[in-house]
Amino acid sequence: MHRKFLTAVTASVAACAVSLVAFAEPSAEDAQKYRVSIMTTLKGHIGAASMIVRGLVEDDGHLLAHAEGLKNGVAELHRVFQEGSAVGESEALPAIWEQPEKFAAALENSEMATTEFVKVVAAGGDRAAAGAAFRNVGMSCSGCHDDFRVAH
Amino acid sequence: MLSRPGIPAGWLALILLPALTCAAPTEQQSRGQYLVNAGGCVTCHTEDRDGAAPLAGGRELVSPFGTFYSPNITPDKKTGIGNWSDEDFERAMHEGLSPSGSSYFPAFPYTAYTGITRQDALAIKAYLFSLPPVSAVNKEHDLPAYMSRFAAKIWRSRYFEAHRFQPDPEQSDEWNRGAYLVRHLGHCGECHTPRKSLGALIVNRELAGNPEGPDDEHVPNITPHKDAGIGRWSKSDIEYFLDIGMLPDGDFAGGSMVAVIEDNTSKLTREDRLAIASYLQALPPAADKD
Repeated sequence: MHRKFLTAVTASVAACAVSLVAFAEPSAEDAQKYRVSIMTTLKGHIGAASMIVRGLVEDDGHLLAHAEGLKNGVAELHRVFQEGSAVGESEALPAIWEQPEKFAAALENSEMATTEFVKVVAAGGDRAAAGAAFRNVGMSCSGCHDDFRVAH
Repeated sequence: MLSRPGIPAGWLALILLPALTCAAPTEQQSRGQYLVNAGGCVTCHTEDRDGAAPLAGGRELVSPFGTFYSPNITPDKKTGIGNWSDEDFERAMHEGLSPSGSSYFPAFPYTAYTGITRQDALAIKAYLFSLPPVSAVNKEHDLPAYMSRFAAKIWRSRYFEAHRFQPDPEQSDEWNRGAYLVRHLGHCGECHTPRKSLGALIVNRELAGNPEGPDDEHVPNITPHKDAGIGRWSKSDIEYFLDIGMLPDGDFAGGSMVAVIEDNTSKLTREDRLAIASYLQALPPAADKD
């Protein structure tokens, strides 16, 4: 019995240790790589959504999927700018960490814009309404890139 | 909404208020407002900080020839252009000369504005003069010693010839409208065309990109070259970029173009943006230079 208890304690301590390792901060390189993947996903949704919003491709129900993809991806942005992760080919500017409040406000802008975009598309609004909501998403991207990303 | 440091709602209201409270804007003033947007006046003539008064000047323009500060072009009689006559205004726009006859530095794109019609120049003035005057003293440029008004005069006599835009009868109306907007009113070449050592534009490389653009930015090639330029963009891609700033791959570039889109191209009619696209797509494709 005593031994069984000990085994159980050891196992749970080990499990905790494993989960601690799993949830430790990623390396700067991995954080940067993950961030780029998220941004690339956003870019894909934006590009695809824009084709539908512009009327170049018919919407067979996927505009909502793209809108939700944007909303979900943007909601994750607040955790992908790990301090010290401006490594490799990162285009993140130091202003992100020097002006955290301004940066948070820019991200919040994007969260509001993508949430609204999902709402408009889900409501089955007309193309003009979707276009206007999409424009605001785009403006929020530009607004943040203008101050916090290396100019292209 | 985009939160670029620039024009807060309060100031926008100030711009719009006179139109609502005093008297309805004349047709000339409304057209002037559209042309002020198309001419990019607000971007350069407004200081780049939160709460700055639109068109009251003070924006810093860092160039390889020193740092320029844009002047106040509100109708304030002491610090702005409130005392200018129509002739003064037209001379500045078309000839690059101040009311006292001194030469402007070509940081003010009179070399492009020279092509706009007299009617458009005066509509711009009518709109500017309908705005509330703002008292803001102009800031002195911060230039190396060789950049004197005399140097500006020599530069002007050597590189500048006043001329109005002449439509090309061989081309469509859309192309001609695009040419007018790109070459003259929108003065796209000021940033997108490379320059010779003394700052004159290299005309046979029109819009082929400028590695030494303002504010140290590398300004891209926007000729229809498939690799070096935007030759893979459709006309709709170009129009949409000028409307909301999205590149065809879904990216949003940022940089100086954000302000140009916000203050200028997004406020144009779709027809005018398509005209710009039409003109750009007809340019000779320029490869990168080795």
